[in-house]
Amino acid sequence: MRNFFTLLKKEIRELLTPQMILPLILMMILFAAIGSFVGREAKKAEKPSKVIIVQNDTSSLVEQLTESAKSKFESEIVRGMSAQKALEKARNDNTVKAVFIFPSNFTALVASGDDAKIESYYLLRSFSSMGTKNITSTKIFLAGINEQVSNYLILTKISGANVSNLKNPVTAIDNVVVGDKLAAVSPDAVLGFVTQQTTFIPIILFIVITMAAQMIATSIASEKENKTLETLLSLPISRRQIVATKLIGAGIVALLMAAVYMFGFKYYIDGLSGGQATNITAEMKQAIGVLGLRLDLSGYLMLGGSLFFGILSALSIAMILGVFAEDTKAVQGIISPLMVLVMIPYLLTLLVDFNSVGQGVKYLIYAIPFSHPFLAAPNIFMKNYALVLGGIVYQFMFFLVFVFIAARIFSSDKITTIKLNFSKKKSQ
Amino acid sequence: MQDILKVKNFYKSYGSTVVVSGVSFEIAPNEIFALIGPNGAGKSTTLKTIATILSFDKGDITVCGLDLKKEPEKVREMISYLPEEAGAYKNLSGLGYLDFMASLYSDNKVQKKKFLDSAKEICGLGDKLKNKVSTYSKGMTRKLLISRAIMTKPKLAILDEPTSGLDVINAMEVRNIIKGLKDQGMSVLLSSHNMLEIEYLADRVAIIDKGKIIEFGTIDKIKKDNSAQNLEEVFIKLAKI
Repeated sequence: MRNFFTLLKKEIRELLTPQMILPLILMMILFAAIGSFVGREAKKAEKPSKVIIVQNDTSSLVEQLTESAKSKFESEIVRGMSAQKALEKARNDNTVKAVFIFPSNFTALVASGDDAKIESYYLLRSFSSMGTKNITSTKIFLAGINEQVSNYLILTKISGANVSNLKNPVTAIDNVVVGDKLAAVSPDAVLGFVTQQTTFIPIILFIVITMAAQMIATSIASEKENKTLETLLSLPISRRQIVATKLIGAGIVALLMAAVYMFGFKYYIDGLSGGQATNITAEMKQAIGVLGLRLDLSGYLMLGGSLFFGILSALSIAMILGVFAEDTKAVQGIISPLMVLVMIPYLLTLLVDFNSVGQGVKYLIYAIPFSHPFLAAPNIFMKNYALVLGGIVYQFMFFLVFVFIAARIFSSDKITTIKLNFSKKKSQ
Repeated sequence: MQDILKVKNFYKSYGSTVVVSGVSFEIAPNEIFALIGPNGAGKSTTLKTIATILSFDKGDITVCGLDLKKEPEKVREMISYLPEEAGAYKNLSGLGYLDFMASLYSDNKVQKKKFLDSAKEICGLGDKLKNKVSTYSKGMTRKLLISRAIMTKPKLAILDEPTSGLDVINAMEVRNIIKGLKDQGMSVLLSSHNMLEIEYLADRVAIIDKGKIIEFGTIDKIKKDNSAQNLEEVFIKLAKI
């Protein structure tokens, strides 16, 4: 038994190295910080959404229904306004999440026992979980209207009203607004489609960027570990060529990985949805097309460019970090700052509505080169092309600066003298 | 005839620590020159600097008349460096490794084949060259690396502890390979802790200590000047000072 514990102690000591502990601590700090930030944002998102209610019918019933909306939303009530004008007003105010229009014949239809309709317009400005939270609350509001009208019908005992109308007297005509595009489609269906189409992008990005970074850092560390670096540096090749070939080699493998993961994930999503992810109805297809929520060639090019330069930026940082690793075992610890930089935009873009975060946080996120590929797809959908292209230019500049630094390090003594080894054995 | 290597008043420091201080020597064509000294004397730093891996603070170093500071890439075409603890790419076969290295020196197929044939002859690994480097013993790897270093017939071969860690038979084979290099028109800058090896191989020797050359000349001259029977005695005498 004594031997068992002696061996167990040795195993734990070997596994619990600073290389393993450092990323663990960094991740713990990161998750705590992101958790706290997301918590604050969630509280912000819990505030009542702003909606515009257009009363084209000024009956007491509509007044009563509008009154109930005031308790649930920050409501702006306007009278006698066309849908077009109301939408124009909503588009100019970034805080407006939806527009509800009571048509002029609303009360008359209710009174006659016919199906009364409310026009609902949802303004999609973000696809993150918090950015789309308001849709649920507006759906609850519409359910509440149905209940109130149903009660009204029962109380007033309107003759001729059929049972289904009594249970569900008001129908919402759903519309979705994306930028200046409008389509008569359910917001849930649109969000479902966009989520299915884009969920895999950040996941693949995260995997590819971290693996590419690990690959190039390991490539440099293994040159040191296998004692091939000094020979390589004495060969008739320029240091710039060494840096370039390492970057391009890792970049090609990373892109190959991205392609393999994308295909794999597409089949995975199709499998999960029983093929529904790709088999959408003709109406839905048309609505998605009208809203511009499908990536066209230029969209794919922008997304691809952002991903490509994101990978290159990661490679250039990892190349510099890899110089500090004396062996492959040290790589994991060495590249953990990079993992943190990838993790921050990955989690934030999934959870937080970017439109609602403060300017300072926004710029901080934009300063991380890996944020741009995560933000590219939603920005392309929202036609924020300047942000996507600006991001690509920023990533390119970032890459150039870090490659320049890497080339300087490779051309100096530092490539063989810099060490940041956590290994206890080496320090003895 | 022009010297293959000229080192004049060479200084190198790491931060505030001066490692090499005012070292000067030169190597003639077809000469084997040895740099010996205790651990930390500055031998490997000198060799790495001449191999263009490290920069230097002061002095002039020329290889075949090329300024090391101004034309390091051209210098690399003239030299070949074998570090003390060198390795090869483990995923490649011995032949794959030699082929990769030969490709960096020439695009010409005929020339490349010449390099490879020469390397095969030097290393003597035969069919084992088809095996992955990861399966090689230390002796086999060292012979592969030496053949890599000299297959291109560089003007100057810089060999740091070429027989380090080898058994007697392998070490003797490697020594014979090095001894034959000057007959093939190469010069050698050698570093070793094995004084018998130096006596067997070197035409001239510089003894370096604390970054300075403290003795210089042919082996016979050094032994005579220090009234010693062999180089080991000279080394011990000088190292004690």
